[in-house]
Amino acid sequence: MRRLTWSHLTLPALILTLALIPGAPVAQTKKLVYWTHWEQNPDFNKWYAERGREFAKKTGYEVEVVTVPYQGYEAKYLAALIGKSGAPDFFNGIAHQWCGQYDFCDPMPADLARLWDESIPRYMVPIGKWKGVRYGTPIEHGNFQQMYLNADLFKKAGLNPDRPPKTLDEWLSAMKKLTSGDGASGVVGFAIRHKGHPVGITDKFLPFAHAFGARMLSPDLEKATGFANSAEMATALQFFVDLVQRDKVASLALGGPEDAFGQKRAAVIFRESWFFGWLRKNAPDVTFKVAALPCGKACPGAGALFPWTNLVYKNSPNKQVAWEFIRSISNAKDDLAQHESAGILPVWTANLESAYVKSRPDYASTQEMLKQPVPPTYFHPKSNELATAFGEAVVNALYGKGQPKPLLDEAAAKMDKILKD
Amino acid sequence: MRRRTYLDRQRRAGLLFVLPALAYFSLVFLVPLVESVIASFYRTVPGGASRFVGLRLYEKVLTDSTFWQSVRNTLTLLAWSAPATIVLALIVALGLHRLVSLRWRSVWGAMYFLPFSVSLVAAALIWQWIYDPVYGLLNYLLSLVGIPPQKWLQSLDQVLPALAVTNIWVRLGFDTMVFLAGLQSIPGEYYEAAEIDGATRWQCLRRLTLPLLNPQILMLSILELIFNFKIFDQVYATTQGGPAGASQTVIMLLYDTAFKYFRLGEASVMAVFVFATLLAVTLVQWRFLRRPVEY
Amino acid sequence: MRRPPPLGRWLVVALVTAGALVVFFPLFWMAVTSLKTPPELQRVPLRLEPDRWTNLDNYREVFARQPFGRFLFNSALVASVSALSSALVSSLAGYGFAKFHFPGRQLFFFAIVGILMVPFQSVVVPLYLWVSRFGLLDTYLGILAPDLVSVFGVFLMRQAIEVVPSDYIHAARIDGAGELAIFWRVILPTVRPAVATLVIIKFMWTWNELFWPLVVVNSPPMKVVTLGLVSFTNMYFIEYNLVTAAAVLSILPILSIFLLGQKWIVRAVVMSGLKG
Repeated sequence: MRRLTWSHLTLPALILTLALIPGAPVAQTKKLVYWTHWEQNPDFNKWYAERGREFAKKTGYEVEVVTVPYQGYEAKYLAALIGKSGAPDFFNGIAHQWCGQYDFCDPMPADLARLWDESIPRYMVPIGKWKGVRYGTPIEHGNFQQMYLNADLFKKAGLNPDRPPKTLDEWLSAMKKLTSGDGASGVVGFAIRHKGHPVGITDKFLPFAHAFGARMLSPDLEKATGFANSAEMATALQFFVDLVQRDKVASLALGGPEDAFGQKRAAVIFRESWFFGWLRKNAPDVTFKVAALPCGKACPGAGALFPWTNLVYKNSPNKQVAWEFIRSISNAKDDLAQHESAGILPVWTANLESAYVKSRPDYASTQEMLKQPVPPTYFHPKSNELATAFGEAVVNALYGKGQPKPLLDEAAAKMDKILKD
Repeated sequence: MRRRTYLDRQRRAGLLFVLPALAYFSLVFLVPLVESVIASFYRTVPGGASRFVGLRLYEKVLTDSTFWQSVRNTLTLLAWSAPATIVLALIVALGLHRLVSLRWRSVWGAMYFLPFSVSLVAAALIWQWIYDPVYGLLNYLLSLVGIPPQKWLQSLDQVLPALAVTNIWVRLGFDTMVFLAGLQSIPGEYYEAAEIDGATRWQCLRRLTLPLLNPQILMLSILELIFNFKIFDQVYATTQGGPAGASQTVIMLLYDTAFKYFRLGEASVMAVFVFATLLAVTLVQWRFLRRPVEY
Repeated sequence: MRRPPPLGRWLVVALVTAGALVVFFPLFWMAVTSLKTPPELQRVPLRLEPDRWTNLDNYREVFARQPFGRFLFNSALVASVSALSSALVSSLAGYGFAKFHFPGRQLFFFAIVGILMVPFQSVVVPLYLWVSRFGLLDTYLGILAPDLVSVFGVFLMRQAIEVVPSDYIHAARIDGAGELAIFWRVILPTVRPAVATLVIIKFMWTWNELFWPLVVVNSPPMKVVTLGLVSFTNMYFIEYNLVTAAAVLSILPILSIFLLGQKWIVRAVVMSGLKG
């Protein structure tokens, strides 16, 4: 056996030395750090850094964008915001969570808040607010579901894709005509969401609930019993479950609803405005149209369970500068440029009639949905936990683990406990 | 007198040898662990402050049916994966051990070991892709032999076995390696002696090989217990606990509770539960399975 | 050992081979998937082979979107340091636990093994606070913080050193060697195979670490391979063609190390015996 000599230690020593070198070069300019977990929109994120370079000419502060993987981002955000050091100066988050459950947000300067309140569509005004105070700038318009339909499948079933169903009854009968199998073989009418976290399931069920005139929580968001388990809600859930179990126009045998639609195994999917970019890339041969969601007693309208906004961290030493940066991009022109770069809908009302928006396939349907009354919103600090409890009832009903009403009763009791706790 | 100073010196030397590891682990793990235990007595109130509540959170978590359901799921998954991994690894190791050519033994050994080098998230995503009910490889292969498509990760009954297969795939190589090493360190004369006594191969395995592999079986059963009880990445990356909560494991719930619901106190209670359970079971395993082995 | 009859031997060979192929197949499938385009992935019925075996577009895309070379370098660096430092500190501790009697020996040992049972998710916030207090966020040392010593390593090295005859140590002491010298000149060379095993296993573990690097790394130049890999999944969808390409890229270095060090691992595990 060879003797261990000092020369054997050179490599480890070299590696150790390398490890001690600080990784990022020491910044020459001062910078604002922005965190986002929107990995799906790299161009949207990059835009902050680009605008940051112009901002630096005036103020000396550049913007550094940190894209955090979605897989586990909550832990990183929480650790950093509690830890203060290493935290972002501003970040992409939900106001009622980061400002409501925790106290991490700096309120927006009053004049800027007024500017935003006046410049965005009506349904978006509560987004970014907590207890009447504006903390965040809404960054995503069109984060409400619309109906994507496969035009070819519509024609094949003898339906006119240019005259999509307007009411839930029409919609259901269209779904029946479109269905020719369970998706694994043949086509299903509706690509239903049944996988993943219960919060996501709640999100996809709520348009149905709202169409039936039900709501998940009381208007003051303090009570679930009588709302989450109301007769309307039970009817809505029964309708949802029947899609799978009785009418068989949706199937649990399919994987993700997006893939099912992309593969032409499902004729209709309810998805947000980002979806058409995905379709163009992954299923270029699907000819689709976008329409407003069908209405029942009420119209589902433009509502979102995940109101993403940009928030400024309360403990950041640079929070004034962060607000100045946000102010510098708070105008219709920047709003349009940034969102267009990522292929998503701009936020400002002034841009809703821009050439870019008009050229999108979801222009008319977006207009139509914006005209509908704003559906209930649930901007509560515990929205994740509440939506989980509710989503469990929905998915349990879908999988036949119980009847809608008792499951909703149980969920409502659980949600009330969460609300009180 | 001289002997005592020698002993003292020995004691000091021993302590000094373990000191770097001890200091490191205390700083990096024990202090955070203690903080986490302390956190289990406090609840975070909106606004981020925390309030001492004694054992209230223990009561809350330990009477919560969702929590116990996640414990049941975890145990079911454990029961599907851990024994199967160990038994399969033993079979593979016995088979590899039989290969006379050392080169082939190491080549096949490497094949079995390879999945261990894939990160858990990547492994989970690959398997999710294979399990996909419509364009997954597995249903495609089944369709070739006329078996109708299965829902795998989307089925209430199949999700845990399907996740268990992923676990077994990831862990098999490591366990096999450990067994192989154990087998190779059993002196050949033992078997020669047994042969002279007229033992059948089955008797050799039961009376000779298995008892001599006891240390490996003990170590692996402890490691598999810990690995499977703390399962997180694979579930988080694929089913997120679904369908309908059928694969919601303890650590999944802990993660959601801490970072999605912002209830650090409740999450700490769950952490204490996991730690205490694993510690207790390991000590029992240690006591009952540990037998001295003499070569 | 009794030689199995030829037929039995072939049967064993056949079974072991079949098992190895089954185990290997998902990796092969991953590699095949990385050669397909997104529409190909959506195709039904499934076609096993890609349209073009030489389609490396996904790999190009991986490198175009991310500085993946840099990620590979970071992972290699972090994993190497973690492996070497684990080997050193774990061997020291293993030696202390195996060959010395001091008060608290059992307690300390079980305290260390007990760390295996702590859910990492529950210490991540306190650990983050520590690391940030030392100003190590977004540095290599920060990424390394929980991985500088391995619990498994302490366990393994204790087992390996326990079977080293104590006579060797006594003999060295009589020759007047100091304790550190004994460790360095007598113990380490004897358990070199076990050290090699630990180095390789710890290297893989650190290489595959995801959650902690995610929490502690901010700037792209500090990211490690696993972070690059999950960046092809997001809150809406998974880009399987890119994830698989990135996964192949992240396995290749490990694979080559493994093939190079394979002889070592087998021999190492054999010699260390892993006796309980």
